[in-house]
Amino acid sequence: MLELILETLIKAAIIVGLPLGSIPIILVVERRGAGFMQKRLGPNRVGPFGLMQPLADVFKFLFKEEVEPSHVRPFFYTIAPLIALVVAVMPLAVIPVAAPFDFNGKTIFPEVFHTDLGIFFAFAVSALGSYGILVAGWASNNKFSMLGALRACAQMVSYELSLTTAIVAMIFLYGSNDIHSIVAEQTGYWFGFLPKWGFFVQPVAAVLFLVGIFAESNRLPFDLAEGESELVAGYHIEYSSIKFAIFFMAEYVHMLVLSGLFIILFFGGYSLLPGMELLVGDSALMLTIMQVLSFIIKISLMVWFFVWVRWTLPRFRYDQLMMLGWERLLPLGIFNLIITVLVVHFRNH
Amino acid sequence: MMFVDVLLTVLTVAFALLTVFSKKTVISAFALLMTLVCIGGIYYQLGSVFLSAIQVLVNAGAVAILFVFVMMLIDLEKYPNNTERSKIKLIITVLTSLVSLGVLALIINNNIDTITVVNLSDSSMKALFDRLFTQYYIPFELATVLLLAAVVAVVVIANNNKQHPGKE
Repeated sequence: MLELILETLIKAAIIVGLPLGSIPIILVVERRGAGFMQKRLGPNRVGPFGLMQPLADVFKFLFKEEVEPSHVRPFFYTIAPLIALVVAVMPLAVIPVAAPFDFNGKTIFPEVFHTDLGIFFAFAVSALGSYGILVAGWASNNKFSMLGALRACAQMVSYELSLTTAIVAMIFLYGSNDIHSIVAEQTGYWFGFLPKWGFFVQPVAAVLFLVGIFAESNRLPFDLAEGESELVAGYHIEYSSIKFAIFFMAEYVHMLVLSGLFIILFFGGYSLLPGMELLVGDSALMLTIMQVLSFIIKISLMVWFFVWVRWTLPRFRYDQLMMLGWERLLPLGIFNLIITVLVVHFRNH
Repeated sequence: MMFVDVLLTVLTVAFALLTVFSKKTVISAFALLMTLVCIGGIYYQLGSVFLSAIQVLVNAGAVAILFVFVMMLIDLEKYPNNTERSKIKLIITVLTSLVSLGVLALIINNNIDTITVVNLSDSSMKALFDRLFTQYYIPFELATVLLLAAVVAVVVIANNNKQHPGKE
């Protein structure tokens, strides 16, 4: 029992600590990336290449005075950032960074919470993600906050549908909801060079999922919840200092989680990148290290993609957003699901 | 594991009571949400892992969010509470509760020998749908017809714009 608790604690520390610790790096990438895209420098004064800038930001947030406006609903105002962060971090528990490996004669699963639910757990918990924003907007007792929260919530509920059709299509295709078997299905090559990634089988589902994760994580071009020109700052107008920072941490963790799920479903999860087999040889330890490395590289590319899109596309109008979600993506998703089910049925019989 | 079961049961009942007895509608809605999540936890403890995921995904993630959404949108705190308590209302409430409790007790009492907690954890999805699409197929289909009827009714009511000419 003690061993189990210790194992879980170590895994939890690593798997929650790594993404939270990587947020400063993402911040640097985002701000310097913005500079790069807009032909300017970006923050480059603090530390070498501006690498210490997020550290300065964090300390600023920590030491700023916490202002609680007198018109808020105090209990809900305080727990809203916590709901947002906890719900964002929880799906990390089922995302594996490597295949199960043997340690001291015992098989260790590299995810914190090994369950039969697999990928469903992540989506069930992510579905609660809009509560943090909704509670924040309502508790702030401010019209801009409320509007931002309602927009975010309606947007997340709408895009969750097309996202789910994409996931269900992939689960039908792989015949399992267990993340390790989904990744195992995608290991190997077609014709000796093309990786067996889900993206090449189901490009439609991949696009649906990709649009869905932009909408779910409230990033540009779908950041209508914040919409500076219309709503000041949306649901977090009334938040200051560390509570404000927690909302941003939650947004970045949510982004990482959804990128991780996207990679697991469509880009082979922790399966090795093409060419990495040559480095592995027969060593089991080397295999695990390379799998972790592959996963980190894939996630980093996804994060860069997020930054890239953010500084390329302008924000959608709200009616355009809703029309895209309900009239284009959802019918496409259902059509794709029906075709997938038929193909899988005739393949199996 | 016993401790977790007891904790979940106590939490479920506590939040359910809060849902009914809270004076503030938004707190009721959040208590309802917590009740739904805790019921998901109970399903998980009983070994029906797929059902627990669906419970959280659909009921807590979509249905309850619409309740909260509407309650926040119309901001019921502004309106005075309907505190009118008539005797007829009280009698009807008590009678309805007693009758439903009685029916439930009767059902449980008659089937107490056949109720067994099946450990479905090996492949709970398969086990669930094996039952759902064979033994319980007709009730399942009837439930979907009911939902369809509700959807049609909502569309008809929402589109009933004849008294407002000029609006689409």
